[in-house]
Parts: sequence; C-alpha cells; structure tokens
Amino acid sequence: MMKNIEIFDPAMCCSTGVCGPSIDPELMRIATVINSLKEKGIIIKRHGLSSEPQDFIANKVISDILQKEGADVLPVTLVDGEVAKTKEYPSNEELSKWLDVEIKPHQLRKFGRGFGCGPKGCC
Amino acid sequence: MAANYEAFDLGKIQITKYLFFTGKGGVGKTSTACAVAVNLADVGKKILLISTDPASNLQDVFNTELDGKGVPIDGVPGLVVANLNPEEAAREYRESVIGPYKGKLPDSVIASMEEQLSGSCTVEIAAFDQFSNFITDKATENNYDYIIFDTAPTGHTLRMLQLPSAWSNFISESTHGASCLGQLAGLEDKKGMYKDAVANLADKDKTTLILVSRPEETPLLEAERSSLELSDLGIHNQLLIINGVLGEASDSLSQIIVDKQQKAMDNMPQGLKRFKTFTLPLRSYNILGIEKIREFFKSDNYETVSAGGKSLDLKQLNVLIDDIYATGKKVIFTMGKGGVGKTTIAATIALALARKGVKVHLTSTDPADHLSYVIKDVENITLSKIDEKQELLNYQNEVLSKARETMNEADIAYIEEDLRSPCTQEIAVFRAFAEIVDKAEDEVVVIDTAPTGHTLLLLDSTQSYHKEVGRTKGEIPLSVQRLLPRLRDDRQTEVVIVTLPEATPVFEASRLREDLKRAGINNKWWVVNQCLSMTETNNAMLLARAEAEKQWLEKVRAISSGNVVAIPWLEDASVTNISKFTNI
Repeated sequence: MMKNIEIFDPAMCCSTGVCGPSIDPELMRIATVINSLKEKGIIIKRHGLSSEPQDFIANKVISDILQKEGADVLPVTLVDGEVAKTKEYPSNEELSKWLDVEIKPHQLRKFGRGFGCGPKGCC
Repeated sequence: MAANYEAFDLGKIQITKYLFFTGKGGVGKTSTACAVAVNLADVGKKILLISTDPASNLQDVFNTELDGKGVPIDGVPGLVVANLNPEEAAREYRESVIGPYKGKLPDSVIASMEEQLSGSCTVEIAAFDQFSNFITDKATENNYDYIIFDTAPTGHTLRMLQLPSAWSNFISESTHGASCLGQLAGLEDKKGMYKDAVANLADKDKTTLILVSRPEETPLLEAERSSLELSDLGIHNQLLIINGVLGEASDSLSQIIVDKQQKAMDNMPQGLKRFKTFTLPLRSYNILGIEKIREFFKSDNYETVSAGGKSLDLKQLNVLIDDIYATGKKVIFTMGKGGVGKTTIAATIALALARKGVKVHLTSTDPADHLSYVIKDVENITLSKIDEKQELLNYQNEVLSKARETMNEADIAYIEEDLRSPCTQEIAVFRAFAEIVDKAEDEVVVIDTAPTGHTLLLLDSTQSYHKEVGRTKGEIPLSVQRLLPRLRDDRQTEVVIVTLPEATPVFEASRLREDLKRAGINNKWWVVNQCLSMTETNNAMLLARAEAEKQWLEKVRAISSGNVVAIPWLEDASVTNISKFTNI
C-alpha cells in the first residue's frame, strides 16, 4: 500500500515561486516533482496556508506542531499522517523512498528554505 | 486645420443604464461624472454615483460625508453618492479571511497570513469586488435609472476585468489550480458575478464608457491605451470627452496654450478617432459645491483676479540640485504620476550633476526617446532604459533556461504557466530596477521609474529576505539584497516627488509619500511643475486658475516642510529650457 504524503505550505501565492524576486529552485523542484508524480497517478496533496487555513486546523498533527513551533516550522510534510519533515521540502530521494517509486534525479543544487512569493505575498 | 469637436451636451448622447468614466488622475473625470449625475438628477432621474478612487474628493465636491453604501445629497433630489474605500474594503476582506482563525491558529501563523494578504493586490481585488457588486446587483439596477462610476482602472484592475473572460481558459485549464493569482483563487465562488459584471460592461445597450482626457498629448495617449484595453474586453461603446479646452487667447501665453491644445487635438491618437468626441471648456473655478457642478457644462463666471497677489516663497530647482550635490547622495528618484514631467526633471538633475563633474547614470521607463536626443553625448552621463516588455521576456527566459537544465518539457510547461501570471512582469521590472540601483556603487544613479504598489511591497519584503539571508542559500541576486538598505539610507537616497499644482496630483503624490514611508524610504524634496502662477499672463481665465494653484502650492509646502521647488508653466518644457530657467 503506497504511503500517503501531504505537504503543508507556508503563506505564499504561487506554488513555483517564480513570482518572488529570487528564483527559488527548491520551490520549482518540489512543484514539478509533485506534478510529474501526478502523471503517474500519485497524488501529493499540498495545503496552502493563505488559501486553505481550515486544513491547518482540521489536521490535529499540523495544528499541534504549529501551536508548539509557530509559522517558521512550515513547510511540514506528513507521511501517513506522521510528521516526516519540517522547515524544508522533502528531497527527491526521500519522496522516492517513501513512495517506493523512482524519481528521476534532478540535478538541482540543494537549497535551504526558499522565499518564493512570501513572506509578503506576490500579488 | 484646427480640430473641431462638438461641445459636450448631455442631450446629444445616448445615455445607457451604466456610465463608466475613466481616465488618468487630474483630467477632470470626477468633475465630469458629477456634472452628468447632477444634471440627470435635475431632470428627475434617480442616480447612483460611485467612486472607487482612493484619492476621491467627492466628499469635498458635495460637501457631504460619504460612505460605501450611498448617501443622498441635500439639494439634489434623486442623487445618491457612494465613495468606496478600497483600503477599508481590503481590511474587511482580510478580516473575513483571517478572523475565523484567530485564536485557533497561533499568532505567528495569523501574522504570516496577514502579511500575505497585505499586498496591493488585495486592495485591488477588494475594490474590484465592490465594483462588480454594484454592477451586477439587481436591487441597485431596479432602484436607479442610471448608475455612474467614476473610476480609473489601474493596471491590476484592468487585468482583473480581463480575468472573468479569461477565467475559463486560465483557471479551469490550469494544471495546478489558480496559479499565481493568490487571493483570487479563494474567490472562485464569485466567478459568476465577475462574469456578469464584464457581460454588463460589454453590453452596448447597458454600458457607455466615457474616456476623459485633457487636450494634451500624454493624457490622450493614455486614454487611447485604456480604450484599446477595454475594447479587448469587449467594451466597445465608448466616447471621448476632452476637458479643459481653452477657448480664447488674449495674450501670448494663452495663445501658446491654445495652439498647443489644438495641435494635440489635431494629432489625435489613431485609436481614439473612431469614437464620438466632445469638448468641455477650461473653467476658472474648482468644481466644488453643487452650484459649480451645475454650472460646469454651462458657463464660466470667473471672478476677476488682480495680478500679483502675495507671492509664495518658492525655491528654484538649483537649490534642490545643490543640496543633492552637497550631501553626496548616490540614488536619486523622481517619482509621481505619468505626465507630471518627472522624466524631464530627472534629466535636468542628471545634467546639472554631470556639469558639476559627477559621473551620472540616468535611466527611464519613458518610451519617448527625446531624452536620449537631448542628453546625447554629454560628458559624465550614461543612459539606460527599462523596457518593461523586454525585462519580462528576459526574466522568463532566465527562469526557463535555468529550468531546462534539469527539467523535462512537462515540468517546463508547468513553470511557464506561472510565468504568465500578472505579477511576473512586476518582478521582472523590479529586478531590472535593482540592477540599476546597484550601479550607485560607482556613480550617481538618477531614475525616473515610479515603483508601483507591488514594487514597493517587494521592496518591503526585500527586508524580510534580508533577515533570512543569513540562514539560507537562496539565489537572491546581490543587487536585490543591497537594494533596500540603500534605499532606506537617507544619506544615499533622495526621492524627489514631482507633482502639478492641482488637487488630484497633489492628493496622489501625498499617497505616494505615505507608501514610501511605509517602506521606510525617506522623501525630502518636492517639485511642483507647470505653475501658471509663476508666469506673466494677463488672460483672465489663466489668472483665475493661477490663483487657484496657490492653495496646492501651500499644501505641498506644508507636507514637505518647505522643501519645495516650483517650475513655471513653460511653452517648451525641455531639459534645455528648464535648465536655462533654473540657472543651471
């Protein structure tokens, strides 16, 4: 049975971050990896803090970790409902391991947490 | 041959249910809309007049406290006036989004959501939302004979008007949701209303778009641009009113103005020629109070003003330039609305500094290339231009080529979609702007690019990046990292606000100053351009207007604590001529 992965994003307005003043390869990577997985029928659900705050309350694990650590803990990745990664997006290797599928390794350098459209939003 | 257009007369136009006045600030849009509203009410019609201009002076015009719902006007039975406040609407919108989560999510999370919803985009969405409400609301439609909008669609608002028509192929076909439309994504349930709003606007039996302009080249070009963009949305039922036409010359200055206006009208932009065009004469008075509004279409009984009233203590441009030179500032902006002459002022400052032996880089977003003609081959000056379309293309190519290094076509298509979002162009211009400011390492940079709301917001977030630079390796260009600290340093940066001695430009300039303050950027100097009160006219009409200028000069003097430079109305407002006048 394939593991269920969900990502809770910080407040931002586009999933690739190309609307921020820096191009953040990390945000582009995660957005496109998720997109390519979707083509294989694997759905990784992303929850945006700005557009779907209700999701952040409804999920007890996320709600608890936010209460404890504040907004800086985002993005948070849940694997089968358990916290698997915080403050950074999961790497391709991690996703590959959790899902047990091969993910073509992107030759992108590793970056820390990106800025993307945040923190003030892009529009 | 002199252009000959009919004088505006309400009886000559086919009046539709919705009348939509548009045009740039200061062209007399509000005066015209008010006069139409009052005149229609006077013949027994029920009228709703709505302004969405945050700098609206409708309260002053009607001498009545207004609100967003509509207030009946004493003395004009049948007229109800509403003044929408986009800032207030944005606050309400933000509160409606965040309110339910207060106490349920921790404060830091609430704060980050609030920041995300504090953009100029939210303000425009809120304004657009209110506007759409009025244009689709059945009760409003039934209660009033005519609904009149006084609104200047800015870039964002125009894009939002385009949105409903493009909505289906942009959002529905989007592979990953609403893309970079941010908060608009959350408004998907309003899609139907926005669609209806645009359908009403495009229905020629329901809506007339009235373009208002001055008989001058720049506002006419701007009117053409709005006209074409609104035509693209299907709003074809348009007419043009040219306001402020000076009828008779009685001295050399008034003759020059008459000739100039005629020339501008003779060279009417191509895109405006297909519309019925009317003129309204220049009035000597401010359109304040119901009597003046009633008079506006009819007569001008200007009070005779004696020349040489008390003179205002105003400085010349060389005082400003000496101050910049003496303080050794490195980044000089001229900011203000289009058409106030900020490009010329920027060039004049650049020229003066160059003559003092300073190495200057002058940059402009003005597409007119007369600047490079005048400044060409001046020692110590280099020139550049920010071409918004080109910058967008460069930025898109940069992102895509980076993406191509590692990504497949599907991934690239995905990113391309976000690159078509409304904010990408502003990002591109922002980066170009940061690159240019970075030249201040080696030379003085003079820039006449007016940062729009979004750019200012980005400036603000640059600082938030700054805090995180220490703990991340995100690819923020060095120029962007250095930008805000430099702009916030008043020993390095001077923002010169350029305005005209009239109500709307002064109100708008004050708002700009507030925006700058919020971004932590200091403004010291103001330039009031094209002052009739500094000319030697004997023309009664121009004298009356010159007198009216004084209150705006006084206001600017108060705002700027006396750091105000005034430049007279010049026939030839070229760099050479301004330089000559200001002893540079």
